[in-house]
Amino acid sequence: MSFVVVNNIGKVYQSNGVDSAVCVLDGINLEIKEGEFVSLMGPSGSGKSTLLTIMGAMNHPSVGQVLVDDIDVYGLSEERRADFRREYLGFVFQQHHLMPYLNVVENVMLPLVTSKASSKEKRIRALAVLQRVGLANKSERLPNQLSGGEQGRLAIARALVNEPPLILADEPTGTLDTRTGVEIMEVLQQLNAQGQTIFMVTHNPENAALAHRIVNIRDGRMFDESDVALQSAEQGEQTS
Amino acid sequence: MRISSIAWANLKRRKGKAAFLIIGISIGIATAVALLTLSRVIKDEIGSQLDQYGANIIVVPQSNSLSLDYGGISVSGVSLDVNQLKNDDAKRILEIPYRARLSVIAPKILGVAEVEGRQVLLAGVDFTSEMKLKRWWRLVGQKPQQNEDVLVGYDVAKRLSMIEPTADGQSQAVPVTEMAEITSGGGIHHHSAEQKGFRLVRDHVRIAGQDHRVAGVITPTGGSEDHMIFGSLPHFQSLLGKPDQLSMIEVSALCIGCPVEDIVKQISAQLPNAKVSALQQSVRARAETVDRLTRFAVAVSAVVLVIGALMIFTTMMGSVVERTKEIGVLRAIGLRKIQIIKELMIEVAAISTIGGLVGWIVGMLASWLILPYFSQSGLRLEFDPKIALGAVAAALLIGALSTIYPAIRASRLDPSEAVRYV
Repeated sequence: MSFVVVNNIGKVYQSNGVDSAVCVLDGINLEIKEGEFVSLMGPSGSGKSTLLTIMGAMNHPSVGQVLVDDIDVYGLSEERRADFRREYLGFVFQQHHLMPYLNVVENVMLPLVTSKASSKEKRIRALAVLQRVGLANKSERLPNQLSGGEQGRLAIARALVNEPPLILADEPTGTLDTRTGVEIMEVLQQLNAQGQTIFMVTHNPENAALAHRIVNIRDGRMFDESDVALQSAEQGEQTS
Repeated sequence: MRISSIAWANLKRRKGKAAFLIIGISIGIATAVALLTLSRVIKDEIGSQLDQYGANIIVVPQSNSLSLDYGGISVSGVSLDVNQLKNDDAKRILEIPYRARLSVIAPKILGVAEVEGRQVLLAGVDFTSEMKLKRWWRLVGQKPQQNEDVLVGYDVAKRLSMIEPTADGQSQAVPVTEMAEITSGGGIHHHSAEQKGFRLVRDHVRIAGQDHRVAGVITPTGGSEDHMIFGSLPHFQSLLGKPDQLSMIEVSALCIGCPVEDIVKQISAQLPNAKVSALQQSVRARAETVDRLTRFAVAVSAVVLVIGALMIFTTMMGSVVERTKEIGVLRAIGLRKIQIIKELMIEVAAISTIGGLVGWIVGMLASWLILPYFSQSGLRLEFDPKIALGAVAAALLIGALSTIYPAIRASRLDPSEAVRYV
């Protein structure tokens, strides 16, 4: 049984009427099992981030359905979708999007802000997550006092604090140097090894290869590796 | 970590912007507080001056019988009624709950007597209270000092040939408000020239067969005083054969902030045999004068506060644009729209509360500094917690109204756009 089911998703942006409609995604189908680590690869403008935001309950698809844990995400009201994001999803953004005026532990506590737990309980939970990503000893620092890798780990800690069933990562190593990128990927692998379901968008084939499965997207459509090989062969024949 | 923690952290992070907003709100509130406080103090001053300028409540015996007219007011029961007012009734008025609001109580006996072959209306009065009440009186002569001394109205004096025009057309008339020194110093010390042009040529008059000294003549007022002779209350009561009786009591009440109708009710309850009525026209005129002042202050305050509100609005709109990414992230991690609105409103509430308090303090200080230039009677400011609360409440209201639209707009930000493109 799949934990995430993306069913025939399409997304069309219309800026000035029907004539200028742009089809960003078309007929996307995807299933992710619980505990699976799936990478999404594709060139810039292929629709990767749009698919991620649709799966992240932030961007209503033009057609299709997203089911997470059998919940029809876009069948929920806008406010219930906010609750869904808080309870089911953890986001790791490319640029981390940390709050510069909150210290490390406060940044991690952000998703708990609406929780009825006491401040002390929230702090204990946040510190436990920071321990998992190796930042417990820097809990009182501001984000700008951390290295790039530490900021990435902090972003992951914030995504984890609510113990969401699904982590959505958008180019988590995109702005980092190679060594720091490796550091972040190690953290994600460790989490996945502990049973965390992860869906990651990346440009980097090496990082993508660390996942259980790679899904490719181009011009808003999905295709598998064999299609790529076939296309490459066709292109080779045409050029020769 | 709560919504308020985010708001507080944001305020600390943007200290300059918060300070700018606090200053803006403070200026608006301070202006409003200063204007309203000054207008209130000045209103009270004008109100009490107006209230001292003539009576606004008339007490007469309950009667349906013969009346005489005095100052346009029907004065009933001069001689025929059972329900007569007594000297003690004037004292009993001072026992009402609103007694502190009563500035003058002027009892009177009225009656007609023969004065050198003519029928003249006599008024027995308590000269001290009467002169406080009739501040517009100007006298040629002195304030009565003996029991038989009288003040004669201009027309009466003229007809009885007590006065004659002066050569230079001027007379040494003195406002009654300045005549205290006459009694204490034994002579006229103030010589404010009036263009009335007469002097006293006869200082005695026979009233009801008795000889009386004419202390002074009241310069023309255009009112009923011109046709009357005023003497001391006990003497005229005796002369008219009405010892201990009063024809009417004129009362001047300081009615700013208190409905004159309430005072009328209290006096009526105190004197069940009397008919108590307020001079509505007088009361309304006073209320209108002071209300105009208040309306002006409110209008200016409103303009200043609207400008303050616009400043908050533009600042908060700018803040929302500046914080698009942050708000988008908060939405992405699951904060509801109402929680985004709440966060911004908490920030503005904190700024408004501080701005309101600072504005109130600055406004009171400004009033204290400015007041001497507006008030001649040395009025002083009083601490009124209602003004402080009002200042904070107004600041909160303005802050909330100015922020509601930017906050709603912030809550509607598309989180996917916010986190992707900013």
